[in-house]
Amino acid sequence: MDFNFSDDQQQLRDAVAKWVEKGYGFERRRGIEAAGGFSREAWDELAELGLGGLYIPEDEGGLGMGPVEGMVVMEELGRGIVLEPLAQSFIAGAVLAGHADEDTRDSWLPRIAGGQALVVLAYQERKARYRLDVCEAKATKDGDSYRLSGTKSLVPAGDEADAFIVPAQLDGRIALFLVPRSEDGVAARGYGTQDGSRAADVVFDKAAATLVAQDALPALEHAVDIGIAAACAEGVGVMDKTLALTVEYMNTRKQFGTAIANFQALRHRVADMKMQLELARSMSYYATLKLNAPAAERRQAMARAKYQLGVSMRFIGQQSVQLHGGIGVTDEYIGSHYFRKLTQLEIVFGDTLHHLGEVSSRMQDSAGVFA
Amino acid sequence: MDLSFTPEEQKFREEIRAWVKDNLPQDISHKVHNALELTRDDMQRWAKILGKKGWLGYGWPVEFGGPGWTAVQKHLFEEETALAGAPRIVPFGPVMVAPVIQAFGNAEQHKRFLPGIASGEVWWSQGYSEPGSGSDLASLKTRAERQGDKYIVNGQKTWTTLGQYGEWIFCLVRTSSEGKPQTGISFLLIDMKSPGVSVRPIKLMDGSHEVNEVFFDNVEVPAENLIGEENKGWTYAKHLLSHERTNIADVNRAKRELERLKRIAKREGVWASAGGDSYASRFRDEIAKLEVDVVALEMLVLRVLSAATSGKNSLDIAGLLKIKGSEIQQRYSELMMLAAGPFALPLIREAMAAGWQGDFPGGHPELAPLSTTYFNMRKTTIYGGSNEVQRNIVAQTVLG
Repeated sequence: MDFNFSDDQQQLRDAVAKWVEKGYGFERRRGIEAAGGFSREAWDELAELGLGGLYIPEDEGGLGMGPVEGMVVMEELGRGIVLEPLAQSFIAGAVLAGHADEDTRDSWLPRIAGGQALVVLAYQERKARYRLDVCEAKATKDGDSYRLSGTKSLVPAGDEADAFIVPAQLDGRIALFLVPRSEDGVAARGYGTQDGSRAADVVFDKAAATLVAQDALPALEHAVDIGIAAACAEGVGVMDKTLALTVEYMNTRKQFGTAIANFQALRHRVADMKMQLELARSMSYYATLKLNAPAAERRQAMARAKYQLGVSMRFIGQQSVQLHGGIGVTDEYIGSHYFRKLTQLEIVFGDTLHHLGEVSSRMQDSAGVFA
Repeated sequence: MDLSFTPEEQKFREEIRAWVKDNLPQDISHKVHNALELTRDDMQRWAKILGKKGWLGYGWPVEFGGPGWTAVQKHLFEEETALAGAPRIVPFGPVMVAPVIQAFGNAEQHKRFLPGIASGEVWWSQGYSEPGSGSDLASLKTRAERQGDKYIVNGQKTWTTLGQYGEWIFCLVRTSSEGKPQTGISFLLIDMKSPGVSVRPIKLMDGSHEVNEVFFDNVEVPAENLIGEENKGWTYAKHLLSHERTNIADVNRAKRELERLKRIAKREGVWASAGGDSYASRFRDEIAKLEVDVVALEMLVLRVLSAATSGKNSLDIAGLLKIKGSEIQQRYSELMMLAAGPFALPLIREAMAAGWQGDFPGGHPELAPLSTTYFNMRKTTIYGGSNEVQRNIVAQTVLG
C-alpha cells in the first residue's frame, strides 16, 4: 500500500507544473480561447516535454510510462486549465500500440510521441449519449482497404487533428479504424465548447480507413477508460486550484468589517469542499491504479471514480462561485474559467447519473477497494 | 504508487482471518451480523478471548505487552474482525485510556492498570462530557480538590457509554479555575466502587440503555490516581485524538453493513434487476451511491495508512474521516430501515434479542432491529466531537 510518488514521477510533475506556471498563464490561455481554443504552439511545447508519447513504448519513440505518470501530468494540466487535449494522445498511443499492425504503428506512433501528429478519438454520435455500443457509422471493405461513413461529434480539436480513431460497424460489430483528416471524404466543422477548448463535428463520407481492431468494443471501452482516468486526474488538479483560489479570496475579501473567511457558515462550506476534494483525489488514485486491471474490474472502478468526481466537481465548482459572490460569475475573473472546466469535465466520458447507473448495475454482494 | 498489500501483509491477514474463524463465538457473530442486542457478557467474552491472545490492546507497542503492529497490520486486524462479525472492541480501556497511561503515567500506574485492561478483566468508562459541557468540553466543571494525599471530587459526567458496567472511569476534572479553561484540567482515574459515585441510566429514543449520568458526591480519590501532572489533563486528552486513528472512520464495519443492506434489499424486493419497478431501481441507485462512498472512504483510509507507513505526505484528515465515516453509518442504517418499507414500523423490543420465537408482523423478525438501529445511529454525528466541530477543525487547516 503506497501512495507516494517516485522521484521520477515527482520530477515529471515538477516539469509540467513549471511549464503550466511559466508557459501557460491566464493571458495566454485567454488568447488561445479567443483564437479558437487550440494552439499548435502550445501543443508542440507539450510534445517537447515528451508528454505526447507518455503511453507509447520507448521503441516506438515514446516514454513507455504508465497510468500513474499520466495521472501526475493530467493533475498539473488541470491546475492550469490547459485547453490542448493531451489525454487524446494517451488514448491514441494506447489504442495504436495495443492493436494496430506494425506498419500503422511505425508510421504513426513516433509522430504522436513527437507531437507532429495529433490523433484523437472520434466516437460520439448524436443518438448514443454515453453508450459506447451505440454506433451508426459503418465501414465496408474496399479491396485491401476500408471505406468509412458516418458522423462523429464533439471530437476534441477535430478540425486541427491529423487523424482520427473511429469506431464503426463492420459486419455487425464495432471495429476501430484510423482515418487521416487529409483523406477525401473527411470534413470537419469546428466550434468552441464550455471550457473554451475546441471540438468538431466530423463527417466521414466513404473515407479511406485503416482497420486497427476488429470486434473492438472492448478496445473502445479501454480507450474511454483511459480518458476517464485522465479526466479524473485533470479534475483533481482543477479542483485543487479552485479551492486554493477560493481560500485566497475568502482571506482577502472583507465584509462587515472582517475577512469573509471568518464566518462560520462559509467556513463549513469550505470544509465540505475539502471533503469533496479529498474523496475525489482518493478516487482518482483508485481509477489510475485500476486502469490495468481486468476489464470488468476496471470498468467498475472507472464508473465509481467518475461518479465521485462528478459529484465533487459539481459541488466544488458551484460552491466556489457562490463563495466568491458577484466576481465569481464574471468572465474577467479566472475562477469562472475553472468552473466552466469542471462543468465540462463532469459531462465528458459519461456524466454522474450515467456512471451511477453503471455502478448500480455492476454491484456485487460485497464491495470495497479490493472487490 | 501501489494499490496492494505486500505478501507479508497478505499472510498476516490470512493468519488473522483463520484465528478469528476459530475463536470468534458463533452466537456472538450471529448477533453482530443481525444487529441483535449484545449483552455485557457477549462483549466481555470476546474481549477476554482477544486479551488471552494479547490482541485486546492490538494498537499497543511491544514494551507494554502489545503486538507492536504497523498501521497497516492494525487496519487488517480491524478489517478481518469486523467482516467476520466480531463486536467492536469496547474502546474505553484498551483504545482510549491505555495509551494515555502508557504515554503519561508512571511505572507504578503501568503495573497497576495496564494488565487488567489488556486481559479484558476490568471494564473502563469515560468521564468527559458534562451537562453544560458538550462541544465546549474545556468548560467542564467537575471539581477535584487536593486534600493531603487525595482528591475530593464533586460534579457530574454524562453520556457515559456502558457506564452501568464500569468498574473504573477516567475523568477530566477541574483542578484550577485560573487562566484559560484548558489549563486547569487534570486527568484522574476513579474507582467507580468508591463511596459517593452513583450511576443513573439515560434511556435513549431507541429504548436502549446505552448511556448514563455519573454523579460524584465528595468522592475520595487517592492522589496516586492522577495521570501525569496536575492541570495538564487537556494535553493528555488531546494526545488521544492526535493518535493515528483511521479506525475513527469505521470503514470496515461499513463494508460489512453494506453487504447486509444488500441482503435486506434483495429480500424486500427493492433490489431492481434490469427492467424492474422504478421504486426498486431508485432504491438500488441509492445503495450504489453508498457503495461509492464506502470505497472512497476506504481509499482515504488507505492513503492515511500509506502516509503513516512511509512517514511521507502526512495527511491531517482525521476530521474528514470522522465526518464521512459517521455520515455513512447513518446512511446505511437509514437505507436498511427504508428497505423494510412499512414493516420497519413495528417496534417490538423483545424481537431484538437473539432466539426470540414470537410472531413478527409480516413474518420477518430480522426486520425488528432496523428502526432502532436507525434511531441509535443518530448519535454518530454528535459524539466524539460533533461533525460541526470537526468542520471547524477542517476549515482551520484549509483557511487558517
